[in-house]
Amino acid sequence: MSPEITPQIEPVPIGEFAEPDFVRLPEPVALFRARADRLRALSATHTLAPYLVFLAELAAIQERIAASLPSPKPLSPEELEAAVADTRAPLDRLLFVPDEFALAVSDKLLAALADVAIPEAAVQAVGRLKAADAATRQAALQHTLRTLPVAEVLAEHALLSAALQVVFAAAAATLPPQRLQPVADGVCPVCGSPPLASLLAGWQGARGTRYCACGLCGTFWNYVRIKCTLCGSTKGIAYHGIEGDAGTIKAESCESCRRYVKILYQQKDPALEPMADDIGSLGLDLLMREAGFARGAVNPFLLGY
Amino acid sequence: MPHDVSRRDFLRGGAAAGLGATSLGAFGFAAIEAAHAATIRPFKLARMVETRNTCPYCAVACGIIMYAPQAAPGAKRTLMHIEGDPDHPTNRGTLCPKGAALLDFVRAPTRLTVPRYRAPGAKEFKEVAWDWALDRVARLFKDDRDKNLVTTNASGVTVNRWITTGFLAASASTNESAWATYKVVRGAGALVFDNQARV
Repeated sequence: MSPEITPQIEPVPIGEFAEPDFVRLPEPVALFRARADRLRALSATHTLAPYLVFLAELAAIQERIAASLPSPKPLSPEELEAAVADTRAPLDRLLFVPDEFALAVSDKLLAALADVAIPEAAVQAVGRLKAADAATRQAALQHTLRTLPVAEVLAEHALLSAALQVVFAAAAATLPPQRLQPVADGVCPVCGSPPLASLLAGWQGARGTRYCACGLCGTFWNYVRIKCTLCGSTKGIAYHGIEGDAGTIKAESCESCRRYVKILYQQKDPALEPMADDIGSLGLDLLMREAGFARGAVNPFLLGY
Repeated sequence: MPHDVSRRDFLRGGAAAGLGATSLGAFGFAAIEAAHAATIRPFKLARMVETRNTCPYCAVACGIIMYAPQAAPGAKRTLMHIEGDPDHPTNRGTLCPKGAALLDFVRAPTRLTVPRYRAPGAKEFKEVAWDWALDRVARLFKDDRDKNLVTTNASGVTVNRWITTGFLAASASTNESAWATYKVVRGAGALVFDNQARV
């Protein structure tokens, strides 16, 4: 006789699944509010608390600016359709020329930083940016979008990125989601940025599907699971978590490009926010570096890893 | 490449020698950054491999995701969990009760992994080699076909039909194996041929 087997049926919820939307465009005010809230919540029990509190202040400023902005002029239908026809990101960050609007947002952000308690190094960076004339600031904004900074200007890069996040989220919010399409692997279909992180969606109608999160414009775009979010390879994809933790954040590594991007399990914890939790899970980056993987995500508040 | 910050400082300093130029350092938080690194040091990574596959049960061919944690060096990985693939257009993450029980199917101690043979009149199955099993199937096929192939019907029309042996294939086969199966079975003249969903 064969041994007795006790069947263990794993319950699978049926009936709440549908074809997921390709993109979820940002609602700028809600985006920055959620980020600020999450950063504050994480700071309660975190070794990096002072930094998280500082970034929460920054996100709160972003929220206030986003709320006070007039709605930006939407992309003309001709420009949008030209981008669709060429399979380009309609708000390509590399083609973006910082305009009066972007300068005004960065002015507001720098001015607002004077009213909150921020570290001395941030005060100095704010001072340097304020001292720069409009042309220099414009060039710096453009540089921030195009390249990663050298070590000397990391703080300025982070502050200008914060301003650009507000600008791009406001612009992304005006796009018609049904006209957006995949542009390439590892590229935001709205602004062309690399993914900041990806998450298994916890929201209705898309449960269990994966979305990449853009760190610049805040767009979420649907992307097949178990596939490198950077190079598109499906070979040797593995998930590394910190042994013994809640398992809500893992590093998705790729054998082909030897890089990783974090994946957040929102069905396990709906409070997860890509930007805040990427910074909150810095420990995972340290362990992944020891394991020989390079960080593939670009977070302007977490450069150098 | 504009990856200067991360790569250059990583290569120069390495993880053990401390942290290079980082955003935290630039804002004056180097001290808590180092403290955080120290708290993380005792922790280890747990590695999980996820693989896509197709449910083997029926012709619907639902997509599944299989999870296996990393095994100790030299040991075989053990499947830990199977769930529906939310990206698969057929099942969008859902599974039927049979698919949901796949883990037990894969890990069942009674799972058939080698051919077994029960001789006529014998009470027990015994394990046999694939070569032996395939030779025996081929021998019996050939003998039966030689004896029972109907070459012409009552009116003398050539029919070449063989109806004394049947062939049952699985519906979850690949296109290639289905093509090869069809060619072999129909080529031999066999008419009793079906694909069964639960093989």
